[in-house]
Amino acid sequence: MLVLSRKVGETIWIGEDVEIVISEVKGDQVRIGIRAPRNIEIVRGELLKDISDSNTEAVIKNLDLFKK
Amino acid sequence: MKLKTSYLGEVEIDKQNILKFEQGIPGFEEERGFVLLPIEENSIFQVLQSVQTESLAFIITSPYAMVENYDFELYEATLKSLEITSENNVAVFVIVSLKETLASSTINLKAPIVLNTTNNKAKQVILDNEDYSIRHKLSFESMKE
Repeated sequence: MLVLSRKVGETIWIGEDVEIVISEVKGDQVRIGIRAPRNIEIVRGELLKDISDSNTEAVIKNLDLFKK
Repeated sequence: MKLKTSYLGEVEIDKQNILKFEQGIPGFEEERGFVLLPIEENSIFQVLQSVQTESLAFIITSPYAMVENYDFELYEATLKSLEITSENNVAVFVIVSLKETLASSTINLKAPIVLNTTNNKAKQVILDNEDYSIRHKLSFESMKE
């Protein structure tokens, strides 16, 4: 993984379309601004993990509930 | 073509009816093809069966039958990747997480499956909406026929 050190107000470009701005650092929290085309999806990592866990838990184990 | 499934036995499916999830779904990124299969005796629910993995299937249902005023806006990213041009060609499903009983089962309102019915391209989208929960209890009071 590429790791870069940045100061507040500094930016990183990913490709030609995506700009990341470090907007604030407070203790262990960093506020990040992202400027990207609207066709790029941006989602928090832990939310994606929650959806992934929920999908895994929803995999059918049996259909007993529907068999009467 | 014939498709072997773990829970519904061997079923006959039409290749044209395979839903194409180009990025899979979270947790199952390699699963690109699913078909919708009916569960007998129960029309509100359907099985979303992987065409690659016999044992991989989900129960899905219509969110509109489960909660009132379920509503969200499609992101441009979704419109583009599914090539959606009209709202009339969109179907929406939610994944059901079955528990011991239906009453204790939950639906994922936070990440509905959006389907373009004209080309069968589908995607599980993640909504940026605090009102919708990943594990919303099935409520039978609001269930419509």
